[in-house]
Amino acid sequence: MSSLKDVITQFIKDNFITGRSGVVIADDISLIDSGIMDSTGVLELVEFLEATYAITIKDEDLMPENLETIDNIIAFLRTKGVT
Amino acid sequence: MEGLVHLFVEAAARRYPEKIAVYHGDLSATYREIDAGANRIAHCLFRQGLKPGQRVVVVMENSLESIQAYYGILKAGGVSVEVPDRSTLSEVAYFIGNSGARACMLSKASAGRLAGIDIPLIIGPDMDFNNSAARYIPWSSLQNQPDSSPERAIDTGGLAALVYTSGSTGKPKGVMLTHANLCANTLSIASYLGLNPDDRAMVILPFHYVYGKTLLNTHFASGGSIVINNRFVFPNVVVQEMVKRECTIFAGVPSTFAFLLNRSIFNRTAIASLRIVTQAGGAMAPALTQRLRDTLKSARLYVMYGATEASARLSYLPPERLSDKLGSIGIPIPGVQIDVRDDTGAVKAPYEEGNICARGPNIMRGYWDDPDETAKALKPWGLVTGDLGYYDDEGFLFLTGRKKEMLKVGGERVSPKEIEDAIIASHLIHEAAVIGRPDKLLHEVPEAFIVPIDAQTFRLEDLSAYVQEQLAPRKQPRHWNIVKSLPKKSSGKIDKEALKS
Repeated sequence: MSSLKDVITQFIKDNFITGRSGVVIADDISLIDSGIMDSTGVLELVEFLEATYAITIKDEDLMPENLETIDNIIAFLRTKGVT
Repeated sequence: MEGLVHLFVEAAARRYPEKIAVYHGDLSATYREIDAGANRIAHCLFRQGLKPGQRVVVVMENSLESIQAYYGILKAGGVSVEVPDRSTLSEVAYFIGNSGARACMLSKASAGRLAGIDIPLIIGPDMDFNNSAARYIPWSSLQNQPDSSPERAIDTGGLAALVYTSGSTGKPKGVMLTHANLCANTLSIASYLGLNPDDRAMVILPFHYVYGKTLLNTHFASGGSIVINNRFVFPNVVVQEMVKRECTIFAGVPSTFAFLLNRSIFNRTAIASLRIVTQAGGAMAPALTQRLRDTLKSARLYVMYGATEASARLSYLPPERLSDKLGSIGIPIPGVQIDVRDDTGAVKAPYEEGNICARGPNIMRGYWDDPDETAKALKPWGLVTGDLGYYDDEGFLFLTGRKKEMLKVGGERVSPKEIEDAIIASHLIHEAAVIGRPDKLLHEVPEAFIVPIDAQTFRLEDLSAYVQEQLAPRKQPRHWNIVKSLPKKSSGKIDKEALKS
């Protein structure tokens, strides 16, 4: 079974940086400032996380501290009981 | 005002020197500081040989520096060419080549992507800029320039800005706006909104987009202040900062409000200070306007309409008429005349659809280096906006569609806007866009791209049943595409050309 990090990284690569193979995304890089995700990208990510991990992400949760970096996303999922 | 755009900041710096003009994250700047920074840029450009009327390309996200760059270029007698900050190297090369710019200004973020830029003079961040062909001036070295006004003689009828606008065909065209155009539009907007020195606007729209730029100029003209927040990607962050900074004004395009109402804490957050909300940048579905109105409670909601070719603004709907004129883009702004005309220029009667045409001191001089397109847009009877609409019998304007976007379904003209409005009215859909798909029998048929509000519970049959009740058969989409998002231009407008390809 893939780790959380592998799954999220793969989703981001498949959806937001297609056509640029071999791109390495550091765990602590801002996915926004680096131009990888825009506002609709954030919503796509949220939808993916909800569907993949059967969780509900509330409007209140759509914050940079939960979604800005891969590290943040993993920490956020852990608070939702995802392992 | 003497008809020069940068006099707005100079006047405010004299009147309110120590007042904070701009907040950006942890940074802020007073009017005196903004004015001094702009003066230093002007001196630098002047000493580097910038001649009056020469173009300077700016590739920067909204920031204290980008504001100083804009007014600095104008103070030097130059023409500002602000382009989307995420432009690629080849896009920037087009803007430079088309405008004939000899200088450009970059931010830290854009400089990293544009190292190969081909232009003689670059003002940019402190970094090792690997470009031997250009003279590179780091922002920090501008501190050595005088911070007094360069006092150059500038003609109010002279060009202040080239604003590139992407039409539905061909390459972007440069809209030529003069100092007089921009000053007239700025003062007209500030007057009908009733802006005052106590106002503080939350600015999420980019300054390279004319609607974003009106926020800067109108609040500087009235001595208010602005809060820059480039993080609308997280709408909650913007909502929280509006509360924290006690913003009185907020401006957005339809997608801004779709995000705020459907995917943020905006509905449940009281922003007690908010007194005016403006919406422009494309027709918003009346159902969404109604929801926004209900959510805002005490703040006045201004639905507005405009065009880059009109400096920005052409009409507004007085908030007290929002309920009884829902769906209208209102009345002409002060100083502007709008008529609905046929293709020969003859004025149409109330309720007759025609071309929306405008005259006034805010109308562009033409498209840069493009007499053919200029002749199509500027007729003896004014600017032909390309939008279709009608007046009602009380003089309120209604948009019916964009001329180039109108579909021909079996010989019948169908407006994508009407279909999109019906889809949004279902309250199942976050955003919708309708385009024409070629069809053997009917020439073309409506094709809809929809983003459900709740993707997990959404059922297409619910939506199509609703739309079948609302629209005649010819107007009902024959093809549905459920998508996670719609492609957007940097202004936040939906990019229909991208949907077609």
